[in-house]
This record gives sequence, C-alpha cells and structure tokens, in this order.
Amino acid sequence: MRSGWQSNSSSGPAWLFVAPALFGLLLFVALPFVLAIALSFTNLRLGSPLPLEYVGLEQFRRIFSDEAFRHALINNATFALLVVPLQTVIALMLALLFNRRLSGMAWFRTLFFMPVVFPLSLVAVVWVLIFAPGPGGMMNAVLETASFGTWKAQDFLHDPQLALPAIMLTSVWQGMGFQMVIILAGLQAIPRELYEAARIDGASQWNQFLHVTLPQLRNTLIFVVLVTTILAFRLFDQVQIMTQGGPHYATTTAMYEAVQSAFARQQVARGAAVTVVLFVIVLLITVLQRRLLRQERAIK
Amino acid sequence: MIAFNVASCNDDTQQRAIGVTQIDAWFHTGQEGERRTIIDQVARFNKIDPAVQVRLTMIPESSYNSQVQAAAIAGDLPDILEFDGPYLYNYVWQGHLQPLDDLLSSELRADLLPSIIKQGSYRGHLYAIGSFDSGLGLYARRSRLQQAGVRIPAGPADAWTTQEFKTVLQTLAKKDDDGAVLDLKLNYTGEWFTYAFSPLLNSAGGDLIDRKDFLTSSGVLNGSASVAAMKQLRSWIQSGYVDPNVDDGAFTSGRVALSWVGHWEYPRYAKAAGDDLIVLPLPNFGQGSRTGQGSWVWGMTARGEHAAAASFLKFLLQTDEVLAMAGVNGAVPATRSAIARSKLYRTDGPLHLFVEQLTGGYAVTRPQTPAYPVITSAFQAAFMDIRNNGDVQAALDKAAAVINQDIADNKGYR
Repeated sequence: MRSGWQSNSSSGPAWLFVAPALFGLLLFVALPFVLAIALSFTNLRLGSPLPLEYVGLEQFRRIFSDEAFRHALINNATFALLVVPLQTVIALMLALLFNRRLSGMAWFRTLFFMPVVFPLSLVAVVWVLIFAPGPGGMMNAVLETASFGTWKAQDFLHDPQLALPAIMLTSVWQGMGFQMVIILAGLQAIPRELYEAARIDGASQWNQFLHVTLPQLRNTLIFVVLVTTILAFRLFDQVQIMTQGGPHYATTTAMYEAVQSAFARQQVARGAAVTVVLFVIVLLITVLQRRLLRQERAIK
Repeated sequence: MIAFNVASCNDDTQQRAIGVTQIDAWFHTGQEGERRTIIDQVARFNKIDPAVQVRLTMIPESSYNSQVQAAAIAGDLPDILEFDGPYLYNYVWQGHLQPLDDLLSSELRADLLPSIIKQGSYRGHLYAIGSFDSGLGLYARRSRLQQAGVRIPAGPADAWTTQEFKTVLQTLAKKDDDGAVLDLKLNYTGEWFTYAFSPLLNSAGGDLIDRKDFLTSSGVLNGSASVAAMKQLRSWIQSGYVDPNVDDGAFTSGRVALSWVGHWEYPRYAKAAGDDLIVLPLPNFGQGSRTGQGSWVWGMTARGEHAAAASFLKFLLQTDEVLAMAGVNGAVPATRSAIARSKLYRTDGPLHLFVEQLTGGYAVTRPQTPAYPVITSAFQAAFMDIRNNGDVQAALDKAAAVINQDIADNKGYR
C-alpha cells in the first residue's frame, strides 16, 4: 500500500537524506571504479611526461598473455575452492562448540576471535617464522614429532607444492574467527522452541542439527560463503609478506599482480586492467552463487 | 599535527613580512637517529642565517615515492627533497628536478666520493647529492676462517675468485653442523636483491641493461656472463651452503661463517663478534670484485629557491654535519674530509674497505635510467625464480623482455 508521503511528488526530502551517503558512494566507490575502467584502455604510467594514449585492448591482451597473470587466476581459484568450504565448515564447528552455556566460554570465543583482530601483516610475519625451513622450524618440528620422526623437514614457503597450502593454512587460521562470530550470532537467533519441539518429536542431536540448525542458518551461511569467496579473490597481504608470489608463480594472485604493476613498476594502466578483470570475475561468481543458493527473503 | 601546521603558518606570515626566504624540505622517516639528526641540523642551519629558514616535513619511507608522485600532480612538491638514489632518473625525466651543477665548488666536488657524483648525474648534469653512501661486503669471523685454513683477502683487488669462493664454502661447510655457512640475507625483500646481487652480474661481465644507450637488456641481462653468474649463485643455494636466515640471526648466533650484507650490519655484528670481525670484498667473478652503492640523496625541485636551497645542501655537506648523520646511520660519509675523521671509515678503520671500494672503481651505480623501477622489479622476480631452483636462462629472458617492453612503451625514455 502506498501512503501519501511515499509518492513521487514528495520524494525530495528522501533524496536529501540519502544525498550525503550517495555522494560518498559516488565519489569514493563509483568514480574510482569508472576511472579504473577508463584507465585500463590507456598507456598511463605513474607521473609520465608522455601524452596519455588510447591503446584499446592492448593492456588486456598483455595480461592474458602473461604467464604470471594466468597463474594468478588459477591460484585465486584454487585458493577459493579449498579455503571457502574449509573455513566455513571449521567456523561452523567452532560456533557449534562455543554456542553452549559453560563457564569461561567468553574466554574461548575471544581466544579464537583474536587472530581476526591482529593485523594481517603481523600474522603473516609470525607464520613465516612458524614455517621456517630446516628441522628447527616450528611446523617442521611439530610434524616430525607427530609423525614419530618420519617427516622430512621442508622449506614450505619455497616449495612450489607447499607454498600455496601454507598460505591457505595461514588464511584459514586468521579468517575463521570472523566467520565463527557471524555463525554464532546466527545460531543464537534460532528460537529455542524449535529444538524443544524437535526433542519432543524424538529427534537425535544429529537430526536436530540437520533439520533445525542448518535450515535456520541458511541465510547466515550464504552470507559467510559469499564474503569468504570475495575475500579469497582479494588475497594479497600474506602473499606479499610470505612468498612475494613465488616460487615460480606458485602463490601469485590477481591482486598481487595488480599492485606489482601499478606500484612497483608504475604501470598504472596495466594495474587498472588487472583490477577490472578481477572485478568481472568476482561479480560473475557472486551472481552465480546467488542464483544457486537463492537467499530466502524474510519469512512471514 | 594540525596545531603544528597552524603555528607554522603564523610563523610564515611573520617571517615573510620581514623578507625571509622560506624553503620547504622533505625528509624520509628512516631510523630514529636519522630523524633526530636532521631536525637538529635544520635547527642549526636556521640559526646561522635568519634570512633563510628551512621548514622540514617528514614523509613515511614506505610510501615515499607515491607521495612524491601525488605531490607532483597536485603541484605541491617542496623546494628540496630527499629521495632514494635510483629514483633520480625518473624524477628528472618527469621534469621535477633542476640541475645543481653550479652549486658545487671544484673543491667540494673533488672532496665528494666519485660514487655520489656518479649516482647523482644524469644526461650530463648533476641533479642530486647525498651526505652518505653505502656498500656491500662479506662479514666473517677471522678465527673461523683461519681454523679452516682459508686465505683471507687483503682488499678488493685481492678478492676470492669464483672457484676459490666455492672451495671456501666447501671447506667451511665441512666444519659446519648443518653445512649452511653463507648468509645472503634471503630474509630481506624487494630492492635488496637488485642491490646485493646485480653487482655479481657486473663482476662477471654482464649487467642489468646495456649502459651504452639504456635501450635494451637483451644479450646483457640474459647474456652468457649474467646467466653464468646467476647459475653460480644458484649452485650455492642448491648445495645447501646458504642459510635461509628467517630469524635474521644467522651471523650473530654464529650459525654461518660468512654474511653477505651492507655496511649497516656492522654495529650488530661487531657486538656479536668483537675484534674477531672482518669485512671482506665480494667474490670476483672475472672482471674484478663489485659492490652496490647509493642511498638517499637530496635534490632540488623545479620550483626550488635556488640560492637558499643550495646553501642548505652545502651546509649538510660540511664535515661536521656529514659526520653527524653518518654517525647515527653508520653509512659511509660522502666526503673524503669527513672520512678522514671517521673512526670507522678512515684508513685504519675497520670499515675502510667500503671507502676503498667506492673510490677505487669497484662500485656499480644502479642503472641511470627512468626505467629503473621496472628493471629492479623484473630482476627481483627473476631472482626469486632462480632462488627457488627455477631455470636461470628462462628467468633472465623473461626479465629482459619485461624491461625491453617498458622501454619501448615509453619511447626509449628520451
């Protein structure tokens, strides 16, 4: 039902209220994005005295014929495919574990949330030390003890097979606390009566989880998966600090390539082209995910 | 910060009223000692001549170049600014700097280290001068080399040859617990790899780029001499002689016998090894031992108040001022008269090798071309590949292609 003040004739005040936010959004999000698209068709180099030239699709042709960028896309995809499910499942398990009324629970929640509060760069430096090569490295030492001495010391961050998994482990450890907190909030929003009803019907713990918890968490989980996927494609800090994209492109990512182009080599146009490609990919994935897991609108 | 700016604006108007020339200077936030020293230096300078007042702004080191670029676009560059040496050619190409040729008297010019003049010159003009320089060496414990029965080179002319260096590593490795006897500071990142290892290319007869006209890296960076040099370096890593040094304590803890690093590690290493510490030249790969050089320098922007800025730069090059800065950052003082008074660097000082290298033609200036940011980025990527057992020829071919493409894109940086 439309009431009078919602009609077009008086939408003026509405626009007025929206204006500050809209202005910020246009200035700081839309404008840079439009600029990035425009720049990706030029030869812009940071501070170059040469005239700006339109080069058509040249920057895109170059990045797609660049071995490093192809590896970057594959690494991003691998990272997302493995980290998103893994991180979501671990976060869900942690949330279930911590969604009980036991003494000291706040401490446990804080403990597991702490990595999220640490700056990513700090976390990455600490994990470089954990992955130290040689038998003296912490990870090597732990694996050696756990495998009763059969583990051979590895140089994790410089081994093409192990470098990306090492970064994944760091990222999962750092990121899962965030997802856990969101899922915890979702869990606490589930009405207790549903569980009571389920118990009266004789549902086991497992069946309660399957038929009450999961369906009720649906929207939360969709949100978590979506955000984790987007974050996975923005992977940068850990790569910059732990491996610098190596060894032999094993850990390079689209974002790392963009920063390298724009800031290390001052090739702003190329960096812009990389981010445009990245944006299109993330957009496609987001649309696809929303199609597949259509979020239920508010019930009632 | 805001309060400070407001206060200095008031100063501004008062001083302008009585005809004072105000010059703005940018300095990087390096080590704390450097910051304190430059603040003191500016205060001393401002006291000497009340008619010329320097106003100092500190810019974070990590984003320094971006800030310069942003200020240039906005037309907000200061009168004089400090910047990392290899950026000079880029800034000149972009039209931000003006020459300092008539600034230096012939005495001052003769007093400066030749490496400082070389780094600061581009296309026949001098654009920047620094009050300190840098250098590379192999740090070692004398007793450990003697125990192993290894020849100890007396100076840069006497450096270990490629073959000899390999034997040294072998001999030392036999007496070492884990066989890792060399620290290449693989824990460092970025510019370190170009600074530290491109001199090896020069020592072997290769280079990062053809320095005749700075138009191509083909056949130079990926030529046989450069490839052989990098293969040699890779063989040290493959043989397990190189300590990954993730904790930066490889030398101080005594885990390695040799550490390949710059002058800046001297205080820490001297504390760990005491009188036993010696500094040796990097190995000679055929054309003589070579070291990197260069550091932060001062230049004058196109809008700079020439006379006033010049008097400040000259002030910074006075022996006492050079020694004040070199005293806190440990770098090689930029003038011979300051070196003569430096305990560390004078003829009988423990670090005199660095002076010998800079004055004796052993120092390689990083390529004097606006393409340098791309050159160093490409070489760093190649180094990472090589370090991780990648194919040397392929890695250097790719780096050369990236560099050539960039030069072509920028019409040869003419």
